[in-house]
Amino acid sequence: MKAVVLAAGEGARMGPFTASEPKVMIPVGNRPILEHVIGALVDEGVHDVVLVVGYRRERIMSHFQDGKAFGARIEYAVQNKQLGTAHSLVEARAKVSGPFLVVNGSNLMDRQAISDLVSGGTGPSVLITESDNPSKYGVVLVSADRVARIVEKPREPVGNLINTGAYALDESIFPVIEALEKQGKHDLPSAIEALSATRPVRAIRTNGVWMDALYPWDLLKLNAEVLKGVHDVKAGTIEKGVTIRGKVSIGDGTVLRAGTYIQGPVSIGEGCEVGPHAVILAATSLGDNVHVGPFGLVDNSILMDDVDIGPGCILQDSVAGMGAKLRAAVAAPRGPASVQVEGEWHEVESVGGLIGEDAEIGAGGVIESGAVIGARARVGANARLRGTIPDGGIVV
Amino acid sequence: MCGIVGYAGYRQAYPILLECLKRLEYRGYDSAGIAIAGSGITVQKDKGYISRLEETAEPVAGTLGIAHTRWATHGPPSKENAHPHIDCSGDLALVHNGIIENHQELRERLKAEGHVFRSETDTEVAAHLIESHYHGNLETAVRTALQEVRGSYAFAVIHAKEPDRIVAARNESPLVVGLGTDENFLASDIPALLKHTNRVLYVMDGEIVVLGRDSARITDYAGKTIEREPQRITWTLEDAEKGGFEHFMLKEIFEEPQAIHDTLLGRIAEPELNSFFREGYTGIKLVACGTSYHAALVGKYILEEVARVPTTAEIASEYRYSKAPADRPLVILLSQSGETADTLGACREANRRGCKTFAITNIIGSSLSREAQRTMLTRAGIEIGVAATKTFVAQLAALYLLAIRIGLERATLGVEEANRLKEELRRLPRAVQAVLNQAPYIEGLALEYAKARDVFFIGRHVEYPIAMEGALKLKEISYIHAEAYAAGELKHGPLALVGSDTPVIAIVTRDHTYEKMLSNIREVDARGAPVLAIGTEGDKDLGKVVDNVIYVPAVPPLFAPVPVVVPLQLFAYHVARIRGCAIDKPRNLAKSVTVE
Repeated sequence: MKAVVLAAGEGARMGPFTASEPKVMIPVGNRPILEHVIGALVDEGVHDVVLVVGYRRERIMSHFQDGKAFGARIEYAVQNKQLGTAHSLVEARAKVSGPFLVVNGSNLMDRQAISDLVSGGTGPSVLITESDNPSKYGVVLVSADRVARIVEKPREPVGNLINTGAYALDESIFPVIEALEKQGKHDLPSAIEALSATRPVRAIRTNGVWMDALYPWDLLKLNAEVLKGVHDVKAGTIEKGVTIRGKVSIGDGTVLRAGTYIQGPVSIGEGCEVGPHAVILAATSLGDNVHVGPFGLVDNSILMDDVDIGPGCILQDSVAGMGAKLRAAVAAPRGPASVQVEGEWHEVESVGGLIGEDAEIGAGGVIESGAVIGARARVGANARLRGTIPDGGIVV
Repeated sequence: MCGIVGYAGYRQAYPILLECLKRLEYRGYDSAGIAIAGSGITVQKDKGYISRLEETAEPVAGTLGIAHTRWATHGPPSKENAHPHIDCSGDLALVHNGIIENHQELRERLKAEGHVFRSETDTEVAAHLIESHYHGNLETAVRTALQEVRGSYAFAVIHAKEPDRIVAARNESPLVVGLGTDENFLASDIPALLKHTNRVLYVMDGEIVVLGRDSARITDYAGKTIEREPQRITWTLEDAEKGGFEHFMLKEIFEEPQAIHDTLLGRIAEPELNSFFREGYTGIKLVACGTSYHAALVGKYILEEVARVPTTAEIASEYRYSKAPADRPLVILLSQSGETADTLGACREANRRGCKTFAITNIIGSSLSREAQRTMLTRAGIEIGVAATKTFVAQLAALYLLAIRIGLERATLGVEEANRLKEELRRLPRAVQAVLNQAPYIEGLALEYAKARDVFFIGRHVEYPIAMEGALKLKEISYIHAEAYAAGELKHGPLALVGSDTPVIAIVTRDHTYEKMLSNIREVDARGAPVLAIGTEGDKDLGKVVDNVIYVPAVPPLFAPVPVVVPLQLFAYHVARIRGCAIDKPRNLAKSVTVE
């Protein structure tokens, strides 16, 4: 069976982390979210993948190429205008026939979830899962395992089984989409609902992993989930006096300096330099070429490639984009916060700093919980940062 | 410069040889041919791309054969001059990559002995020469014949009377053996083999290989057997597929952030310091050809500023024939393939002169990495597009690393300063990405300039070599006449050519030459030339003096060549695409130039 993976979106709500990358390329556990999705498909025997790409598509194409390195055969379909998920699927129409899967490239899924969808029987199906936060999603009303209705982002509670955006479909969906497009509707859930009026659409409930990253702090949950499966790999140079507990993967050319303490699960990429006397706690991912200076603490955080953390920095529940640079003694402690994203306020239970790519923060800076530092922002020494600093902003 | 392949195994050789050959098309593509040993030797060849041969040739049964794709040096591209070449009897077929220097005298002698020549190539001489020494043993005949041949070559020969073997030999042209199960391969370069095996034996200069379906025996010219461990190639064929991109060149440009990232990987945290660079020279000489030479020109500024060692850059084909001065500089050789004939020759010459030699190359186990005393690999991955792009920026990344290392070893660079430079290096992949994100805008600009007949590129200081590289990219793939000048030289002549139909591409980043560049732009603007500038992000004034601007992120001037070259590569690509040129295979050019 073929799978159409939707990967054309920008991910505007991911703030500074989609400044130069599409959302699906954001790394969790040191691999892009999309790579985990393709991995799950391949593990379940789905090797033929059509990637629908759009925003910054070259980043995706140059990473996945023809898919051989990932055990898949990847073809590309280009969606030039991001009108909606149904429109996205239509772009892949010429490359599918018979039954096929549709999954969203920015939702983390495991084998179990894919397997539930594949083995759900014939005919169109929707993968559904239980959610704590159904008001953000399409709630699926089910009767006798069939989709009755899909209520998008209900204000009033109507149920807690949500549409994962993963479907098993066939060509019968395309005429339905065409009809809806004439009414200006370009989303897949509307098409599924319309399809369910003409033939039964199965609702398959999964207990496998399905996680969505809507906002930057969600990345930490995805990261922790992925790191559960991290392998113990000890490459690189580990100096005397380094303590490693739990599962920790350490890449080639990485140097862990004396006195460093690591509590897994932690994934450390290639060519990193950590310590002396740095503390890395679960669940943390350090990308490639990351430098964590002496006496630093990194706890439940994602540091993407080329991040450089000066001596004595503290990062908890934080995300730092590629090439972010923190000078000495910058603190981003965790705490509850109200964070504004795209004009909307969100209450977050626990979050540290959300630091965009190539942002630079001067010595002694304090990043208040939930502060968002834009990509390429420049912050002088001893600043206290709260709220949102825009991309390229300057704080003196 | 040509590509050769060979197959001895249990499968039908014809489709395998053609498929392997296509992966060598980057080495030359003006004619191609194939010889199969089945019932006798069947040779088929034609002028043009390998796909043309595929159309005109008939599949021939047989499990052993050789094939060739040619880039003409002696004799124009034609069916007659295409390889394989056969001897008078038609029993022997031979393919060759390289140049036989004494082919004229051999040809006259063989003609006098009664041999009949069918082509103008130097290669055919070798076929007849081996025939003249053939007394029932091909290996012996090749060994004897080679004693009379001067020049560079990789040969592969088959004979109807010994249809179970290929005899091959190498001198100064690349040759590798691929080891399979019950089948073996032969090729000029590894990509040809990767679909079938990743176990290879490198053949060295002065060695002969006898290849059968279950054996690959290497001997020296005296006949002594050489034992060699096979090496495992870690990169795979998918590295060589286009993966959604229209051309390899575009794919490779978009791989530049990764190429820089990978080249820096593991070398920033702990540069591998040893005493190699500490002493034994007073100056550095960078030696290379083509695009690598432009990297060398940038390298001169980098090494002088970072490592504080007086440095010169020289074209390999000039250096190797120059007279040796008394001093012995450290000679750094740059070659993407590590097989560039002139760069290899320069390395040998430098070794002979007693210089320390250091190579920067993209191919592990390449001839250059074996000739030079030390090697640093750019980890750009395989590059198929004939126009070098990602390997160029990877070479620059390697030069920054090298300069830091030399500075630290010679204690001319402080640790603090080194750390500051490393920070900047870490930023480069994103600086390049930021330019790539503007690709649609650059494509739009290309449309405006695609009709030009002549284009001038100007820059100063470290950006002058980048202007040269921009001009080279444009001419090699779009066939537009392009020339680069140090901007200050314009008024010493070239300005006479500037007018409203000669666009000028000016590199005007915010450095100490900024004001001077602006006055140069005014000079050309006054003559009506359309000006496209590459400027620093945030420089709003620039837009007022020129027609179009492509902005690149602000980086310290020494690092500017990396983000600045990217829009020029994209510009050349899109201009060529709009003009409908064969981007990945420009006419008359080949990827690695293994002839002199």
